[in-house]
Amino acid sequence: MDAVATDAEREQIVADLRDRLGDALVGFHIRPGDDLWVRVTRDVWQEAGMIARDHLGFRAFEFVSAIDWLPSPFGKGEDSSLDPIPQVAGDIVTGYAGGDTRFQVFARAHSLSQHMGITLKVDLPDDDLSVATWIPVFAGANWHEREAREMFGITFVGHPHPVNIYLPGQFEGHPLRKDFPLLSRHVKPWPGIVDIEPLPGGSSEPSSEEGEA
Amino acid sequence: MGLVESGKLPKPLTSLLNTSRKYSIWIFQWGLACCAIEMGAALGSPRYDVMRLGVIPLPASPRQADLVCISGTVTDKIVPAIRRLYDQMPDPKYVISMGACANCGGPYWDSYSVTKGVDQIIPVDVYVPGCPPRPEALLEGIVLLQERIGKEDMAERWRGEPLVVS
Amino acid sequence: MTAVSDRQKLAYVNSQAADGRVNLEFETEEGMTLNLGPQHPATHGTLRIVVKLDGEQVLSCEPVMGYMHRGYEKLTEVRTYPQVTTLINRIDWLGSFANEVPFILAAEKLMEIEAPPRAQWIRTILFELSRIANISLFVGDMALHIGAMTAAFYAFRDREFVLNQIESATGGRFHPNFNRIGGLKDDLPKGWVADTKASLERIRDFCDEMEILVEGNEIFQARTRGIGVIPSEIALQFGLSGANLRASGVDWDLRRDQPVGLVWDKVDWKVITHPDGDSFARFWVRLQEIRESCNIVEQLLDGLPAGPYMAKVPRVIKVPEGEAWVATENPLGEMGYYLVSQGGLGPFRVKIRTASFNNVSVVPWVCRGVYVPDVVTILASLYFILGDIDR
Repeated sequence: MDAVATDAEREQIVADLRDRLGDALVGFHIRPGDDLWVRVTRDVWQEAGMIARDHLGFRAFEFVSAIDWLPSPFGKGEDSSLDPIPQVAGDIVTGYAGGDTRFQVFARAHSLSQHMGITLKVDLPDDDLSVATWIPVFAGANWHEREAREMFGITFVGHPHPVNIYLPGQFEGHPLRKDFPLLSRHVKPWPGIVDIEPLPGGSSEPSSEEGEA
Repeated sequence: MGLVESGKLPKPLTSLLNTSRKYSIWIFQWGLACCAIEMGAALGSPRYDVMRLGVIPLPASPRQADLVCISGTVTDKIVPAIRRLYDQMPDPKYVISMGACANCGGPYWDSYSVTKGVDQIIPVDVYVPGCPPRPEALLEGIVLLQERIGKEDMAERWRGEPLVVS
Repeated sequence: MTAVSDRQKLAYVNSQAADGRVNLEFETEEGMTLNLGPQHPATHGTLRIVVKLDGEQVLSCEPVMGYMHRGYEKLTEVRTYPQVTTLINRIDWLGSFANEVPFILAAEKLMEIEAPPRAQWIRTILFELSRIANISLFVGDMALHIGAMTAAFYAFRDREFVLNQIESATGGRFHPNFNRIGGLKDDLPKGWVADTKASLERIRDFCDEMEILVEGNEIFQARTRGIGVIPSEIALQFGLSGANLRASGVDWDLRRDQPVGLVWDKVDWKVITHPDGDSFARFWVRLQEIRESCNIVEQLLDGLPAGPYMAKVPRVIKVPEGEAWVATENPLGEMGYYLVSQGGLGPFRVKIRTASFNNVSVVPWVCRGVYVPDVVTILASLYFILGDIDR
């Protein structure tokens, strides 16, 4: 691993961010010598990006995307069509730097001089799935936000051209939400089902060739 | 030509017509995904050299093509374009579906945006399996199609009767 | 055709007119709209570019994607880890092996497994070979778009030698699916090292040939120099990566700057940059990178360590909870996987950051004010794969 990127450097970055954002920085997670996650409130989402870009040196843009933390109500779709569809199992479990809501928007940028990256996260309340756009921070966020918009149904306030980027105009639903069903899987049972089921008295080896035609 | 339209074509003339048709196929390349590169290797590279089979790649437009090779994943968004392409081609026209995705959806059989097989929108003459098929496999598909063309009765095709391939 | 009925004539005229209406719409106020695609030779697949023109000059241009959108991020959620590898091969279909590596590394990072040295070396070798196979096609393709057909035939010819090597090692010309969590599927076959060295010689000859045939060509230079200039700050803003970024003078290569469990730091090579940022610079940087890749592979082949090619992994692969981001310098640029696991047999969420998506997002910016033929030059020089944009 990179010798320059030590733990202390990442802690310094978090401290700098906390100085400028105050209580708006709600959580963070550091994997020493590897990566950094910071969660901010929705009001300072754009500002946090600006600070990261201008003051902390994260000048190169990677991506903006979102995540739906709802446990999938369809399992992995491995069940045969005769079985009842399993209902939501358990509570929402969120990842690093915590989270309070179902939807989270996360973005990543990296620093050329410090050879490290940062992942910024923001929680979105269920009744108002909107967040400020990152286009003023990084112009490249434009297409990423269009993608997140159609895949999750999140509104990016201030986006100049919020239209579908991938799906045809008449497509209904937001495919990357966990409660969006893959209908083919319900019509036809998953052919790889035999590989995933643990055999009685032993363990089976999942074959990687499965799923290919 | 009037003979074909009248539906009364003498047998020797049919076989002459078919032989000349099957060795002068203009193939239109509808490259969509990975298979497009293998198709490019089959049609454009010196190693595989499709022209020795009497197939001519790179027509200027689908209007001049006899055969279209649909190679790659067909998504719901591209479907209207493929249908239009097929409608624009002059009859008699043939379709090769190349690769698992074009045949049946392939590895994306459960995707929300992929059409499960191009045969849902246009009739397919030859399916070439593989993911992606090797260039040799595509060449075999073309040879199979040529065999089929050789046995065709043009007059029957013109009258719109179902094709019988022995 | 002599006997054409009136009905046929009319149908023909109508279809011609319908075609014309779709492809060329005259709009009195904002100039003319020209539609490139969705299936256009200059777009390596099914990208559609809507260009607004004033005379021959581009007022604005808007790429329309999604014709190749296959829903990878959703499909990974319903696959197990070994099955995901099969799927993600097909994102950037010219450099398939390189697609697998960052995902496998991300899973290995969460499982805290490290592949044995021999596996790491073979991974790096195949990674670079897939880069050569990928970029050598770019070189021919770029020349083809400028109008030189011959180079494309040469590229297809010499690329086969590298594909043969990949095939004899992995069993697949295109989609090797050779990586496993914890190592590789198999060891290298006998005699592979010597054969690969011979094929590298072919590639070096190919580079020389291309330098004379394409790069030194007067027409090629006139068509590419000063066309589509992307300054470094804009490149970073849009998240450009790979050769596109280095051609804008940014000295950044993940192989050197963020080594992630592969062995580029064990060999002697250099990062190629070019200060100009135009189409010619992007072509030049890529061509030099093929040579560098040849150097890397040759050195790695000489120092290939012995030992096992697979670490000890559980029979049923379950990745512990956590999030990991791994990015590598793929042929097209930076490709990264943001893997979220909740301890199951398959990933909870995978965000796939592909190089081409960001690289192409700069097109509306860079195409403003250029002439129509330059649009094709710029698209060719940015070098994208449709599967890599749409996923």
